[in-house]
Amino acid sequence: MSEETQEAHSGFHRHGSYAYVSNFSESEREVLINLVGQILELLGERRDNHGDDLLAAMIGITSHDSPPDDGVLLRLLPNAYADQVDASEFRRYTEATLRAKKSANAMSMHIDLKSSPDGCIEVDHGGANAWLGAMNDIRLALGVRLNVQEKSREDLEILGPNDPLRGVYAVYSWLGWLQESLILALMDETL
Amino acid sequence: MVTTEESLDEKVEAAIKEIFSSDKPWVTIVWDDPVNLMSYVTYVFMELFRFPREKANELMMKVHIEGRAVVSTGSREEMEHDVARLHEYGLWATVQHGDHVS
Repeated sequence: MSEETQEAHSGFHRHGSYAYVSNFSESEREVLINLVGQILELLGERRDNHGDDLLAAMIGITSHDSPPDDGVLLRLLPNAYADQVDASEFRRYTEATLRAKKSANAMSMHIDLKSSPDGCIEVDHGGANAWLGAMNDIRLALGVRLNVQEKSREDLEILGPNDPLRGVYAVYSWLGWLQESLILALMDETL
Repeated sequence: MVTTEESLDEKVEAAIKEIFSSDKPWVTIVWDDPVNLMSYVTYVFMELFRFPREKANELMMKVHIEGRAVVSTGSREEMEHDVARLHEYGLWATVQHGDHVS
């Protein structure tokens, strides 16, 4: 886990009893739309191929019983058991639902951003949870690409100006700070 | 009733074996992850399990310091339900039978 220490200057604030608001600049809004769009695309790539088995499609059984090859998808759709047989069985019956829920979170964030050209976002508790889930999925995806599992925070902070990962790390850090601002706003409510 | 010491020992042994095997509960384990924010993990525990903030925070610290923590205990079906919800939030969680470190 990581601790967010970046200085807060904007981000999400609680507004009234049930609303959470944030004002994004045009470039921030574009970055968020782009990232959440990529998550939607990635989740959509793992399609079910049921063939003629309409019943399986109807009750949400996935044709996948092996974990995704892609590291990012594997982190978003992880194994639920250490044992491979149990993990496959669980995946067969639950992965389609998990993908649908993650897509719904990302779609909710995408719609909020798209429908607010001025960058002013207002969400309720449910909307805030969708944003948290979607922002976390984006951070998990960027984290895999940045190899945060192996690298320390210090390693990532000294990336050279020409390293393409430097920009990725900047976005990753900003998203962590944004996520933290929403969590703090939500936590006040539950104190 | 007269019981030889030997058969009593056997009964006790069987009873103990029973306690430690068949009734062993299933558990949900959350593993430490370098991406998930500490505050986020606490918040998810509060949202999903309705834990008070203090308990959610203690569990989060256990995950952070020890690398893993049991967050719920019960039937296999209940644990699978919990893991599915934790995965939805992006926490790294697994189901296992009994709380041994594997």
